[in-house]
Amino acid sequence: MPKAKTEMRIIFLSILIVFAVFLLFPLGTLFVRSFETNQGLGISNYLSILSHKDLIEAFGNSIKVSSITAVITTILAFALAYAVNCTRIYRPIKTVIKTGILIPMLLPTITYGFAIMYSFGNQGLLTKIFGQSLFDIYGLNGLLIGYVIYTLPAAFLLINNSFKYIDKKFIIVSKLMGDGSLRSFMNTIVRPLWATLGGAFVLSFILSFTDFGIPASVGGTYAVVATQLYQVMLGSIPDFNQGAVIAILMLLPAVFGVLLLNYLEKLNFHYDKFSAIELMQHKGRDISFGIISSAIIVAMLSVFAIMFIAPFLASYPYDITFTFKHVMDIFQSSDLVNVYKNSVIVAALTAVLGTLVAYGSAILNARTPLRGKSTIDSISMITNTVPGMVLGLSYLLLFNGSSLKGTFIIIILCNIVHFFTTPYLMAKNSLSKMNPSWETTGELLGDSWLKTIYRVILPNSASTVIEMISYYFINSMVTVSGIIFLVTAQTSLVATEIKQLQHFAKFNEIFVLSLLIFFTNLLIKILCDYFQKRQSINHS
Amino acid sequence: MLKLQNVSKQFDRKVVLDDINVEIKAGEIVSLLGPSGSGKTTLLNIILGLTQLDHGKIIFNDMDMSHVSMKNRGFNIVFQDYALFPHLSAYENIVYGLRNKKGLVSEKELQEYIEFLELKPHLTKKIGELSGGQKQRVALARTLVMKPKILLLDEPLSALDGVIKESIKQRIQSIAREYKLTMIIVTHDPEEALTLSDKILIINQGNISQFGTPQEIINQPKNDFVEEFILKQLQIKRQNIYNLFGEQHA
Ligand SMILES: Nc1ncnc2c1ncn2[C@@H]1O[C@H](COP(=O)(O)OP(=O)(O)OP(=O)(O)O)[C@@H](O)[C@H]1O
Ligand SMILES: [Mg+2]
Repeated sequence: MPKAKTEMRIIFLSILIVFAVFLLFPLGTLFVRSFETNQGLGISNYLSILSHKDLIEAFGNSIKVSSITAVITTILAFALAYAVNCTRIYRPIKTVIKTGILIPMLLPTITYGFAIMYSFGNQGLLTKIFGQSLFDIYGLNGLLIGYVIYTLPAAFLLINNSFKYIDKKFIIVSKLMGDGSLRSFMNTIVRPLWATLGGAFVLSFILSFTDFGIPASVGGTYAVVATQLYQVMLGSIPDFNQGAVIAILMLLPAVFGVLLLNYLEKLNFHYDKFSAIELMQHKGRDISFGIISSAIIVAMLSVFAIMFIAPFLASYPYDITFTFKHVMDIFQSSDLVNVYKNSVIVAALTAVLGTLVAYGSAILNARTPLRGKSTIDSISMITNTVPGMVLGLSYLLLFNGSSLKGTFIIIILCNIVHFFTTPYLMAKNSLSKMNPSWETTGELLGDSWLKTIYRVILPNSASTVIEMISYYFINSMVTVSGIIFLVTAQTSLVATEIKQLQHFAKFNEIFVLSLLIFFTNLLIKILCDYFQKRQSINHS
Repeated sequence: MLKLQNVSKQFDRKVVLDDINVEIKAGEIVSLLGPSGSGKTTLLNIILGLTQLDHGKIIFNDMDMSHVSMKNRGFNIVFQDYALFPHLSAYENIVYGLRNKKGLVSEKELQEYIEFLELKPHLTKKIGELSGGQKQRVALARTLVMKPKILLLDEPLSALDGVIKESIKQRIQSIAREYKLTMIIVTHDPEEALTLSDKILIINQGNISQFGTPQEIINQPKNDFVEEFILKQLQIKRQNIYNLFGEQHA
């Protein structure tokens, strides 16, 4: 490891300042505001919440619907991961599962709601196909469908990753020892995955509990915490102090959840190295899981099908002649084109600057001897915990009077902080695996520290950097909850514009904009995957 | 000439080097020999300038280097794992430092280094495509073209297998002769130290046990440690080889 240098200290200090001003101060303000009353500081805001029947009910609803979501998601994600890892189903099906499951991640959650309405509503596509309305989608049912679709990709990735650490030889050993199917399954799959399944449950719960897009679209009169918070802050009579209390109450389950996740992570089994092994033949297993997993993916994607159809029809469902009219209308409306431009600019700047911050933080922590560098780990724990809505709200409270209000800068900063954890951990993980003597070697060969970073460290982590850029870009394209409190008429973004269009029931516009987000993200994802692949070929 | 005067180092109050005094002449190969944890790497890093010393002085050609930064000392090192840059080819690794020091080495000299280390056929290869011995030579070339005043090697042979080990050993000796380069080599293998170097510095628990030529160490071991740990090992090795080949081959 190189010695501590002035450049390192300057970068470290800059990063600490960014997080002090854009994470700690805002959260501190939020905390103080939640205790602020006309008679000075006190807990009366909290007490008044208790007497607020709607809010109490919203909390109950949130907990209920998030818990049911978490159960369903965990089961479905497990089934998919099992199909991918422990069956001999036709390989292309596995590829379709692994790719298809990621599609929802390219769309804002608010879009899910409208897709659900147009699929299951009275005039919905799936309703037409089945010939009758399946169930009432506004409220609990719609929320459940939306949340499950939203949380399934994350839960799947988590469980799928853990499956890689399961030694499949145990399945064979267990069979050879004479275990029956159920016992073998419990001992060799469920037991080692127990902590991960718990993790998937907690993760799905937190994601559902704090999402705003889905209840904003299909919530109907079924009140949840996120919609209550929005109403209190941006309704007819805004109450910032009460908003602060709700935000704190939204933060608490998230804190508890993240602590639980970290605890479960420690419980995870980690087998030593093992070699891959052929799975046993089992027709029944393969056929049933082939059908189950395909059904899950088809069901999930069929909800989105309408989004690709409706905007190209004259007036769905009444006049179903094909037309480009709606799409052309959007591109002729300078407002909507501008909103799209705004989104791309914000996402691009977030991606570049966010990657810079996260990569810099990771370098300092993984490859320098700076004192106090582990504070960055604590910061990443906090950013992982704070829900987007809570962060956005705390920015609103702190920066309301400042010149940052209503700028793109504040939106970009909010995104950078909000999505910091994952790219930071990606970078840290990859940087700490590199040879620790490279900086010293570079210095002996005449480089300055920054020059070695540029000439050696960066090229050797190019693949990770691309992944970080892609992560930041896609997430800032789709986020609603993080920025709903920060956008103004001048800084409107696609994901939040959709919320406005909802008021005017302009569903074609909503879908076309969603498609724009989708294809932009898809393009970025494909490009990044391509460059990543090229990098890894170059380096092997 | 490199002089270490009263060099001492502590890590968290644990004494790792205690009052080391040594003189190394220009063009000598010196091995640092000692058991694990005896402070060999620490001493090497202190000479290099990577680790700060607590007391004492490092004097090179009558100049006090103790407070000169690693970069300005003009010494260089080949790490045990080579620390080659995997995104660059063998050739790009070799010329890496020349970008920073233009004109240090002429094109002709560069080719001579490459030829001397027999790297010509491997120049376009990526680091991952090289064998252990080839990597070692690329790392040597990358360091040698910087024309270090002293070359430090941390366990240069430990990652190599038998036959290559012997050939790299000869190579190191011929580099020292060819370029009149002072070399300091860390090892924990007595056989390696005694067959490779002009002088051996035996360290035990942060102190010098003995500093002398291979003959001096074999014939006049200064204390129990040298006798028990260094010579005993060699004698056991010799016995094993005798048993294999029979005494008459000695
Ligand atoms: N940065 C450090 N901080 C604290 N202690 C250290 C540090 N570097 C080395 N030490 C300690 O100093 C002692 C000498 O370490 P050193 O690496 O020099 O030994 P060595 O002779 O090279 O051993 P080996 O043959 O195992 O490489 C050891 O006890 C080690 O634990
Ligand atoms: Mg060592």
